[in-house]
Amino acid sequence: MEYFRQIESRIDQGIGRRRLGYVVLGLVILFFLWFPNDTSQSNYAKTVFISGFFYAIMSSSWALLAGIAGQFSFGHMAFMGIGAYAAGLIARDGIVFAMLGIAITPESFSALGAIIIGTLVAGLVGLVIGWLLLRLRAAYLALFTIAFSELFRIMMLTEYDYTGGSNGLSLRPLLQIADVDTARQVEYYLMFALLIVCLLAMHWVANSPIGLFLRAMREDEDAASALGVNVVRYKILIFVFTSMIVGLAGAIFYSDVGSERIIPEQLEVLQMSLIIAYAVIGGMESLIGAAAGAFISRYLLEAMREVVITLPFGLTTADGGDAFVWETGAWRFALFGVVMVFTLRYMRNGLLYPFITWFSGRDLAMKETVSKRKDDDDYADAPLEADDE
Amino acid sequence: MSDINLELNKVSKRFGGNQAVDHVSFSVTKPELIGMIGPNGAGKTTLTNVLSGMLKPSSGTIYLNGRRIDGHPAYDVTRAGLGRTFQITRALGRMTVMENMMVPGLALKPNARKADLEDRAHEILGLLTIDHLTHEYSRALSGGQRKLLELGRLLMLDPAVIVLDEPFAGVHPTLQETITSYIHRVHESGKAIIFISHDMNAVFELSQRLLVLHHGALIADGDPQSVKNDPAVIDAYLGHEEDD
Repeated sequence: MEYFRQIESRIDQGIGRRRLGYVVLGLVILFFLWFPNDTSQSNYAKTVFISGFFYAIMSSSWALLAGIAGQFSFGHMAFMGIGAYAAGLIARDGIVFAMLGIAITPESFSALGAIIIGTLVAGLVGLVIGWLLLRLRAAYLALFTIAFSELFRIMMLTEYDYTGGSNGLSLRPLLQIADVDTARQVEYYLMFALLIVCLLAMHWVANSPIGLFLRAMREDEDAASALGVNVVRYKILIFVFTSMIVGLAGAIFYSDVGSERIIPEQLEVLQMSLIIAYAVIGGMESLIGAAAGAFISRYLLEAMREVVITLPFGLTTADGGDAFVWETGAWRFALFGVVMVFTLRYMRNGLLYPFITWFSGRDLAMKETVSKRKDDDDYADAPLEADDE
Repeated sequence: MSDINLELNKVSKRFGGNQAVDHVSFSVTKPELIGMIGPNGAGKTTLTNVLSGMLKPSSGTIYLNGRRIDGHPAYDVTRAGLGRTFQITRALGRMTVMENMMVPGLALKPNARKADLEDRAHEILGLLTIDHLTHEYSRALSGGQRKLLELGRLLMLDPAVIVLDEPFAGVHPTLQETITSYIHRVHESGKAIIFISHDMNAVFELSQRLLVLHHGALIADGDPQSVKNDPAVIDAYLGHEEDD
């Protein structure tokens, strides 16, 4: 322990933790920029990474909505689906304003135009849902969003003629690159860039006065309101903002960037639960934590499809081999569940919280406070609450 | 000195069959220290909630400096110039003391320089003797320190009228002195303060004017001595003398 303290002290005196954090973050970004250029990596590996970036956007935006703003919504996948389906339907059927006698043909929309409209539609539905949710809190909010989410999924499933039902809906491809390897590489960079842009936008919101008001709202809506915060405005704003982010991510991902078609199965509550689980494991009050949690979880869940177990002590398998392959199937999700249980029981702020706290220098401020208050027993009329996180 | 003109006109609040506040009328037109007392269930906290926009009144009007505020959301009432604390302190637990202070600062002055607001927050925390807890999460504060933090947040709002709901409840004498000194200081800066308390010593020591509620109705409004001897007040607190 003493050895680690010495290292910590040298870092504090030298480069500083926050700067070191930026260096580590820079190295991670460099790794992701380099990865698709590694010729030894297969297209499958790049596909896994693309999916990881998509889920990182989903989980980090949910972290902003639920972890930072306190709106525990199960409707996130539905908003993603709204963005994707709207983009797909517009690009296929165009828009008809029957009342005005105006029809915009599908050819008028480029894939990008359809994605932008899909994003706006997701934001518009977010506005309506945010308004309907104004008076709902905690469990009621969660139940409402589950109901909304299921309603949307069943609509997409049953309106076969329009949505393709369980076969799903193909969106207009955003990129049209003939060479498969090049296409995968471009798709990789596109999704990675989208993740970075979304994280930067969310980081800006979370660290602006809006973010401060959102956290105040999360802690106590009545108290925030009594302190002059327009709770209604910020509640709706955060629903619209996160709905647009996931609507955009969905519209791009399913425009043949990460997947060929959006299917209603993707909108199931189980899928939403995975988004929440990734955010909880990484740290639902941290955008970076939730994004990293989602990416790492997705990667590990893929990597664990087949686990090679080498037998110890010279043991052999029935056919004489020294190792066997365990096809984990659903067991990998069970292991994932164990990690989730451990996180919720022992590290409610996520497995990455200690690292984020350390790099941000937050624990230094806390240590300073503790040392300052040692002699201060003037107001010891009530016991300190246990800091159990 | 802030402009002060708070006017309640026949304000009532009913929950089903329960008349929690019953046609209460009074006005505050100068920086006064006003105690609000009444037995349990008299409607003091409900009236505070109605005043601060947490509850809509069933009937009646409230004007603050010429602006009608009854039925307006709490944030709007706060921005109009009425700040309040809560009976059970409501510190924003997973936010630091400084962040707790910055919420009202930025909510009311979104265009102010952050550094200026932080300087003001430091100054207030120093006044309240909790400046050493600036970077501490407020959930880690003791009950007394949370009371001080709530008072600090009020100063960031700088309202013309302040309503303190049970500021002395559950605090030890040292802290009570700090809170009393705070109340005097804020009052001297030109604010009207209405405070609810069950501590009669504190009420009679501090108040320049007393409001007494009973069964939701305002049964007395005047200087503490006259209110103390008011038969209706004695009756409300001690009950009827039964005839044999």
